[in-house]
Amino acid sequence: MILNLTDLSDEPLQSQIIRQVRAKVLSGSLKAGDSLPSIRKLASSQKISVITVQRAYEALEREGLIHSRRGKGFFASGINSDTKKEMAELRIQEKIEPIIKNALAEGMSIKEIETLVKELLKSIEG
Amino acid sequence: MEDAIQFEKMIKEFSGFKLGPLNFTLEPGKVLGYIGPNGSGKTTTMQCLTGLLRPESGYVKIFGEVNDPNETGWKSKIGYVGDKHVFYENWSCARNLKFVSQFYPSWSDKRAEDLIKRFDLDANKEVAKLSKGNRAKLSLIQALAHDPQLLILDEPMDGLDPVIRSEFTNVLFEVIENEERAIFYSTHITSEIGRLCDELAFLDNGSLKLKTEKETLLEKWRTISFQSTNHDLKLPGVVEQKVSGNEFIIKTQDFESTLTALRELSISDITETRLSIEDIAIHILKGGRNVESL
Repeated sequence: MILNLTDLSDEPLQSQIIRQVRAKVLSGSLKAGDSLPSIRKLASSQKISVITVQRAYEALEREGLIHSRRGKGFFASGINSDTKKEMAELRIQEKIEPIIKNALAEGMSIKEIETLVKELLKSIEG
Repeated sequence: MEDAIQFEKMIKEFSGFKLGPLNFTLEPGKVLGYIGPNGSGKTTTMQCLTGLLRPESGYVKIFGEVNDPNETGWKSKIGYVGDKHVFYENWSCARNLKFVSQFYPSWSDKRAEDLIKRFDLDANKEVAKLSKGNRAKLSLIQALAHDPQLLILDEPMDGLDPVIRSEFTNVLFEVIENEERAIFYSTHITSEIGRLCDELAFLDNGSLKLKTEKETLLEKWRTISFQSTNHDLKLPGVVEQKVSGNEFIIKTQDFESTLTALRELSISDITETRLSIEDIAIHILKGGRNVESL
């Protein structure tokens, strides 16, 4: 498993791991039952502390994206499409909310934001 | 499993300087960064740990055994690298290693050779002719060839160039792949151990200010900015506060409780950013006001 971690980001290393492993599980590049590197192996290969990987794996386990088997290590979990959709919705909500709040603070109206988003979506679709 | 290191009420005194009482442990499988400014007592701690100095009171245990200089059991479990890198100057690297190897039953020539190859070191070269970086490499090889369970590093990368630092850290990451090993790493440069350490301990003027998990520290410390017309705010956890008009920028060591207090004051429009270990270290060591000590 290859991750792209950087110190030059506001995003803490722990969150970078969570986000990138999550994307791999949700996109299917890690399939249900695929094994993940051990905590110590990943720490060593990515040059990050064991505690950082441990916390990230714990968070991914709580999200239901990976699971551990005693003595065998960590594995990607099977995610059904409903859960996938829910998680994607949650993720987009988390990202969009602060952006909208910021736009409101800078004086935009709800109506203006709505129009902007619609136009943006249209250009992405087209 | 026994703690790799246990400091128990340990005090070391010189005229005009007192270290301790130190009370802390390091579990196997973990890397502890021991951070303090020059003269804070890091090297004294190291010397007490390796048995070069005897404490006035209290004791140090290494894997459950008091580190009595006359006993050898615990010594075979540790590897030590200081910043001095002391060798027999007119001997070759190989001869120096051969000499040290006789003191360690678990010494592996193969392990030493592997590291020599990996570090691209000329084993036949006289130590006196080595560069500072290559001396440091030789120290690390000497400390690792007997496969110690506890690696003790006293500012080992002081004055080394970035390439050698990175080679050095790569080896440390491999050491800690084995969960029965532990690393105790002292430094005044926090950036060099940011990614390696699981736990951090801060030492100032001979006393331990704080020992905590790195991730916990990074989660708890934040810079928060917000606006308030009330200038007489009493917020918990705040270690620094700047006000300009109604604009506040504060630093907190307890994000959760500061955030709760802000919500109770109906201040919800905040932006928050994390602090680097370096920033946090400066606050803890140079006593931004109210920093809690242990």
